[in-house]
Amino acid sequence: MKRRDFVKAVGRTVGLSVGAGVFGFRPTVRLSDSPSLLIPMDDAQSDHLKAYGLTYKAIQAGLKAEWLLNYRGGSFLIPDLDALRRDAALNGIRTEPVDSAMTSVRGEIEANNMDAVPLEKAPKVAVYAPPNAAPWDDAVTMALQYAGIPFTKIWDGEVMNGGLKDFDWLHLHHEDFTGQYSKFFLIYSGMSWLAEMVQRNSDMAKRLGFQTVPDLKKAVARSIRGYVENGGFLFAMCTATETIDLALAAHDVDIAATYADGTPLDADADAKLDWRQAFAFMSAHIETNPLVASFSDIDGHQVNGGARRQPLGAFKLFNFSAKIDPVPTMLVQDHRQVIPDFYGLTTSFTRNRLKPGVTILAEEEGAPWVKYIHGDLGKGTWTFFGGHDPEDPQHQIGDPPTDLSLHPHSPGYRLILNNVLFPAAKKRELKT
Amino acid sequence: MILLALADPGRVARGQAIGPGFELERAGRYADAASVYFTTVRSDPTNIPALLGLERTLFVLNRMPELLPLVQTARARQPDSPALRSLELRVYAALNQPDSLEAIARRWAASAPQSEAPYREWGLALADRRMWDEARHAFLTGRRILGGDGTLALELAELEQRAGNWEASAAEWARAVTRSPDVGPNAASQLADAPAPLHDRVVRVLTGPAVSMRARRIGAEVLLTWAQPTAAWAAIQPTLAFPDTEAPAALRRFADLAGALTTPEGHRVRGLALARWADMVPWSLGARARAEAVRELLDGGDKVAARRVLEAHSDPNGIAQAALIQLLIADSQLDIAEERLSAAPATLTADDRASLRLALAKARVARGELDRAAAALDDDSSVAAIAQRGWIALYRGDLKSAMEAFRAAGPYALDRAAATDRTAMMAMLQRVQEESSPELGAALLTLARGDSVPAIAALRRAAARLPEQGGRLEVLLLAGQVAAQKGGDQEPTAIALFDEIVRVGGEGAAPPAAELEWARLLVRDGRSAEAIPHLEHLILTYPNSAFVPEARRVLERAKGAIPKS
Repeated sequence: MKRRDFVKAVGRTVGLSVGAGVFGFRPTVRLSDSPSLLIPMDDAQSDHLKAYGLTYKAIQAGLKAEWLLNYRGGSFLIPDLDALRRDAALNGIRTEPVDSAMTSVRGEIEANNMDAVPLEKAPKVAVYAPPNAAPWDDAVTMALQYAGIPFTKIWDGEVMNGGLKDFDWLHLHHEDFTGQYSKFFLIYSGMSWLAEMVQRNSDMAKRLGFQTVPDLKKAVARSIRGYVENGGFLFAMCTATETIDLALAAHDVDIAATYADGTPLDADADAKLDWRQAFAFMSAHIETNPLVASFSDIDGHQVNGGARRQPLGAFKLFNFSAKIDPVPTMLVQDHRQVIPDFYGLTTSFTRNRLKPGVTILAEEEGAPWVKYIHGDLGKGTWTFFGGHDPEDPQHQIGDPPTDLSLHPHSPGYRLILNNVLFPAAKKRELKT
Repeated sequence: MILLALADPGRVARGQAIGPGFELERAGRYADAASVYFTTVRSDPTNIPALLGLERTLFVLNRMPELLPLVQTARARQPDSPALRSLELRVYAALNQPDSLEAIARRWAASAPQSEAPYREWGLALADRRMWDEARHAFLTGRRILGGDGTLALELAELEQRAGNWEASAAEWARAVTRSPDVGPNAASQLADAPAPLHDRVVRVLTGPAVSMRARRIGAEVLLTWAQPTAAWAAIQPTLAFPDTEAPAALRRFADLAGALTTPEGHRVRGLALARWADMVPWSLGARARAEAVRELLDGGDKVAARRVLEAHSDPNGIAQAALIQLLIADSQLDIAEERLSAAPATLTADDRASLRLALAKARVARGELDRAAAALDDDSSVAAIAQRGWIALYRGDLKSAMEAFRAAGPYALDRAAATDRTAMMAMLQRVQEESSPELGAALLTLARGDSVPAIAALRRAAARLPEQGGRLEVLLLAGQVAAQKGGDQEPTAIALFDEIVRVGGEGAAPPAAELEWARLLVRDGRSAEAIPHLEHLILTYPNSAFVPEARRVLERAKGAIPKS
């Protein structure tokens, strides 16, 4: 399967299947009638996060699985095998054997805003992170580690040498693609971790033939853009969302502070940004103060913006039509529709900075910002999720890592794992 | 209302006219709200609520230039109105005309030469636009012209903080607090938010050699909020050498802040502060504080300082007697403590008396003096004393009386750790059928006295006399847990004991508990791969055991799926 073909084809196919149903056709996807295990994802589930890992393992082993969108919180259906039962028992995952009961489940799915999406190819996952980053440095690696989903860490060297083509799914977290070290350079000067970060990035820039770190990061951002255009799935959180777009829009403009590249930023930078290159945002204004750890007015919350900082609220997931919009539906599968917000260097996305056509997956009602967005670029897709750690809303540098075994039902982490499994979905064959 | 309308009909009419503007503004209809405010200002050019409404709405609508002529007209009509002067400055700032802004501010300052207000509003207008350098220039101009090191220090402190210049902010707070002690709590609370990497620099500013006593005290408070009690005490001490009138209040506040720290170091510093405070206040207050200071010093492990406090002050009212006896017990001078307790004056409260008796009984048990421990409890009928009698009965081997006493004491006597210990012991005793077991009692007493290795051997001997499903596995589990905790050369013993329990199996809680302990021991030794099969066996063999959730956590950790806690 050509990975990205699924994204658009599935919408068309399902649209046809709905229409066809009216004329007496059955859905295009035939579900297996062999004994199966239902992994409920509503409040009956004892470990929502590990459930994703179990499903991943099933498809990784070449077995068929299904994602029952909007059915009991977005449940999974996997074959009833001893090995999978054992895995579920060891990991504390609730499963329910189903065989004849599946007929009524399928009827319910057919009659409601639900759908069954086959999952067949375990996506190869890459996480963009420096080589010495601990798995606990970002929410996605924590989620993958906890769920037992394998991933490979890659960094600038691999990206610039074309290594992205080996992966279906790429995750970015708190990397600052403007090359300004998250703008901690002046605030945390003298700290050993910062010195190490600066050294590591400078060495890498030199090794790859770039004069400055901002130049290197812009090139990395362009490679990632190319990866998506060619059919890759991109998932970004926290600072990576905002800064990759700033880096792309600033391809010919200096937006980095003097400490980062030795030259002052372009006084007319705002006007020179080329937003056509960006994934999600447009018309943003750069934060020019090197002492304020904020990049632009894309972020609605401005956690380090002093008086501009906005308090946390809660964000609400949109309810999409499973049969017409299966992709956004997959991305918002959850057992909670309203989720407490959490800060990050980039916490949210100001509405009036979003490009037209961006799909809003979650927003804070009445607020001028949104939390979770999605869109297509070329043959691929991207998804941006604001904030750093869904279970550590006020995350500070040096805080202990989140122990996900204490948050096995985390609705925020579920959104991350939805993104990991969504590339596993199989496109449906068109009936002709 | 009628009378009011007769008195000033214009005011009521204006109030009614502006009301819908607020409603429209609240609904987000800024253009409509602005129209209402414009109408009001046309009929009443100096109407400040309407002008402020225009400031809010026109800013959102990006139409600020429209406001300037209105504000200038209003200010010309009421040149002495600070509100209109401030508004005019803010409008110039919003229009990004810093030169005009400065000219207007200086004109205002010339008309009010002793006032800080023009410079304050000038700086704040710029700070609101995040023009930090320009705002700093405005405040410093005011300071230079008006004179005084602390002039506009509060504004500068907040500005520097907003700009992320924490050291400069600390220096300004030091000036502000030196000028006015009332801002002290605000200064400490604001500076407490400084990022951890900058703590040292901020403290250096506040506690340097040239700073005022007030600033140094703020530094001490900030250090306390950063959980550095010893450094905090070192910072505040020099300000107490020649106490000024503010010293008692500052020291009391310091002691109260230290009360939030639960570390031994925190207790010790609070004790030192209270003892010093006690010397500054009237005798009745001081005696109580001194008693509290001794308790804190003992909790902080500083027996020398506690003794010094007690020895320096005779205590005819007996308030510090309890602390003195507590100190004697801690020093293992049990006979003297017992004498003092029986001869203690009537001023010793019943609660103090009961708590000292209990401490004495525990100290006697630790020496193996069970009869004297029982005697120390006297006729105390509190649940804490009943629980202690249960332990004494247990160590004598009277399992039945021990169980009865633990049941009577209930689950809430003493603190949570003590309640947990009792519950764990009851769970073990429930499996033992015998009413009496002097061997088990003696083994548990050995354990209570801290002789771990002999206790392990004694527990194994006691277990051998019990039936396999009648408490033997539970007693062996306890022996294994002690051996595992001891570590070193006791680890093989622990593993042998856990292995024995797991192989026997059965329905009790001991087999899964032993397998979990075994796995934990292996993980602790860096042998996670060997631990994993044990944990998987536990989870799959005893799916309903209460140990399964913890086994899953240990399994996750062994596999590296969650961080080490």
